[in-house]
Amino acid sequence: MTEKRIPQTDLDRLLARLRQRAAVYAPAEDGTGEVVLAALSGKESVTLEYRNFRLSPKALVLPQNQTLLCFKDGQAEEPRLPEGETILFGVRPCDARALLALDQVFLNGNPHDPYYARLRSGATVITLACARPMSSCFCTSVGGGPGDGTGADVLAVALAEDLLLRAETSKGEALLASLADLLSDATPAAVKEAQEQVRAAEDPMTPVKVDGSAERLRQAYDSPLWEAASRKCLGCGTCSFLCPTCHCFDITDEVRGGAGRRVRTWDCCAYPLFTLHASGHNPRPTPKERWRQRIMHKFRYAVENFDRLFCVGCGRCIRHCPASLDLRTVLKEVGA
Amino acid sequence: MTASHEIETRLRETAERLLGEKKVDLFLGHEKASLPLRTTPLFLTVAADAARLAWNPFCSPNLAVYLPRLFRAPADAREAKTAPPRPTVGVVLKGCDARSVVALIQEHQLPRDKLVLVGIACPGMVDARKAERVLGLHEALGAGEDAHGNIRAVVEDGTEVTLRREQVLADVCLECRAPTPSICDIVLGAAVEPREAHVARRQAEELESRPADARWAHFQQMMSKCIRCNACRQACPMCYCKDCLLDQTRPRWVGAGTDFSDVAIYHLARAFHMAGRCTACGACARACPMGLDVRLLVRKLNLEVEDLYGYRPGEAVDATPPLSAFAMDDPQEFLTEP
Amino acid sequence: MSQTQIVPEAAAPRTWEPKVVAFLCNWCSYAGADLAGVSRIQYPPNIRIIRVPCSGRINPVFLLRALQSGADAVLVSGCHPGDCHYISGNLAARRKFTLFRDLLKYVGIEPERVQFTWVSASEGGRFASVVEKVVEQARKLGPNTKLVKRA
Repeated sequence: MTEKRIPQTDLDRLLARLRQRAAVYAPAEDGTGEVVLAALSGKESVTLEYRNFRLSPKALVLPQNQTLLCFKDGQAEEPRLPEGETILFGVRPCDARALLALDQVFLNGNPHDPYYARLRSGATVITLACARPMSSCFCTSVGGGPGDGTGADVLAVALAEDLLLRAETSKGEALLASLADLLSDATPAAVKEAQEQVRAAEDPMTPVKVDGSAERLRQAYDSPLWEAASRKCLGCGTCSFLCPTCHCFDITDEVRGGAGRRVRTWDCCAYPLFTLHASGHNPRPTPKERWRQRIMHKFRYAVENFDRLFCVGCGRCIRHCPASLDLRTVLKEVGA
Repeated sequence: MTASHEIETRLRETAERLLGEKKVDLFLGHEKASLPLRTTPLFLTVAADAARLAWNPFCSPNLAVYLPRLFRAPADAREAKTAPPRPTVGVVLKGCDARSVVALIQEHQLPRDKLVLVGIACPGMVDARKAERVLGLHEALGAGEDAHGNIRAVVEDGTEVTLRREQVLADVCLECRAPTPSICDIVLGAAVEPREAHVARRQAEELESRPADARWAHFQQMMSKCIRCNACRQACPMCYCKDCLLDQTRPRWVGAGTDFSDVAIYHLARAFHMAGRCTACGACARACPMGLDVRLLVRKLNLEVEDLYGYRPGEAVDATPPLSAFAMDDPQEFLTEP
Repeated sequence: MSQTQIVPEAAAPRTWEPKVVAFLCNWCSYAGADLAGVSRIQYPPNIRIIRVPCSGRINPVFLLRALQSGADAVLVSGCHPGDCHYISGNLAARRKFTLFRDLLKYVGIEPERVQFTWVSASEGGRFASVVEKVVEQARKLGPNTKLVKRA
């Protein structure tokens, strides 16, 4: 697949063209000085100057709030599957990889989730490689990288003046083919520059030892480190809600009279009530069990079940935890 | 040596002494976090570890939130038989943290005689997100306080950036009227001047001056990013209910999703439950992952409680919270007369 | 499964009538409403009554829930201060109601959507007048769109 290029000054034209075929989400300032993955209506000022979005793109394939079906007088309607095509432009490599973890759960699992499947198949992912990772990033330690195209349909790299584009899937190839009049071939020099940029971005990231984490965690199950590490956890849910691979959800019925709807909302294993049984028993009664489960799920159970880490090293949990918990510290302790 | 550094040294000595002499079983403080501009809570049980304690402009967490769970009564007789004896806990408190402790003692969530309170008058703490916004695309890899009380950050290319303190202090600190702890056993450091009362009023008054539809639009806009993570509630020291009304499923008072109606009711209900109890510590706003102005509603309610009943939460342990009391001459302007 | 209230999309009624939910305390206001009925005093049928033991039992979340479920206005009525069957329930409620109403006003919800009154067991006529006033004010305000949750 040849690398293509487009001058960054033509980015608005590219996005406008994309908007003709799908709902486009792109990085734009939200008016409070923050860059978010915004639904483009044409009035936004799109920017490529950002590290990563606070909210991960998982919200676009697994919405916080999703109506699954409606019912009336004892009869359920056909499930309402989401509609429409989307193009997600500017997703970071870590978040694109995270989609594959979600695919494992919702597409390859039993049952197969039709709501997720519909949103996922309707989405085209254009990943933008990272030039400047943050000190909380550790994607290279968990199998990813700042220029990793895994999970992307098209991988983009922003150079000084140009944007390089490379198709990673047949969907991506078709997309680039449809934009052929806007694109030209990238020069070998530009391709080399992109590769060097990615390499330079990999360098500053402090490695986190995760090899053999599954086995080490299995052995550390009863370690006193969990109690000490979890004492400061508030059970606030920030980590799960911002995490691009966290996917636990709750389903509730909202009813009035004889009619209503069944709704799926995000849930979080750090909540005290998450594992509360109807009997009143709670197998994870304190922050210790819940924090341990969080780490186990991502670095052991996922590996044992799917041969895949459920952490992509995006660092959101580290950066936004109000108690500044850092799972890298725990992994180091387990590895010791 | 900055004032913070002096206090930090004395704090470490105090904690070491309290733990060493077994005056406390546990000492809660702050220590350096893995990211700059932040600290993380520290639970000390060994005197020698007291050297890990930090006191600097990044000690924002309200440690009072961790106290009720240390003194939670056993659930039943069987648990009571095997429950360990209640610990004596030492804790570092800023002005706001101390107010939370006072309010928790008033509500019988904490036993005063099992607490050793180390009070430090607080000149205000840095809001890490505000500082990061000022730094823009630069990332602070290290940060500290300079001799003038400003924040000196070292960014990724090695340059130093000075952030004026007033520019990066948390909003709640800029309005703080009680930086000196109202309750403590040991005092470290000098007293700090409180901010003037009108600062806290300004925001509420400005909003009140707008017409009703503009106020609703503002409320909607402020809360539209809410993802219902409940971080605000979990971080709040006064939200200690084991089973929160807003989580209840039989009946379900408010839905769990992001329909604005549910978002509005969650915040209105929680704010109302804070009336006369919110100690303006700002833990809710700090915890919010979406950067919402979570204090929008309680800011007004706190002023109402002060104006109507002359009460400010967290000032005196023996005061009666206004919603636990009534007066025969309470105003009733809210009444409808036919 | 758990329940919450939403208003399903229904065919729009030809002329809109406000729905008012009234929380009446058992001992005074509910009895007063009963007296109005027994005395054949007419009052608007827009009102739906929920009986509670005391106005002090009202948790403002009930009022929010009523508005979310589609009520256009809410009325809370209890015994006159000094006459509470439980001595001080309504006195404790006064502070709650004051603060709650101010909170709603602050976010731009019209104060006439949440109203409070004292009606004694012997005040059947007064109850009817209050209901008339509340319904009229709700009619003037129009349908509640701010807090209601639609399907």
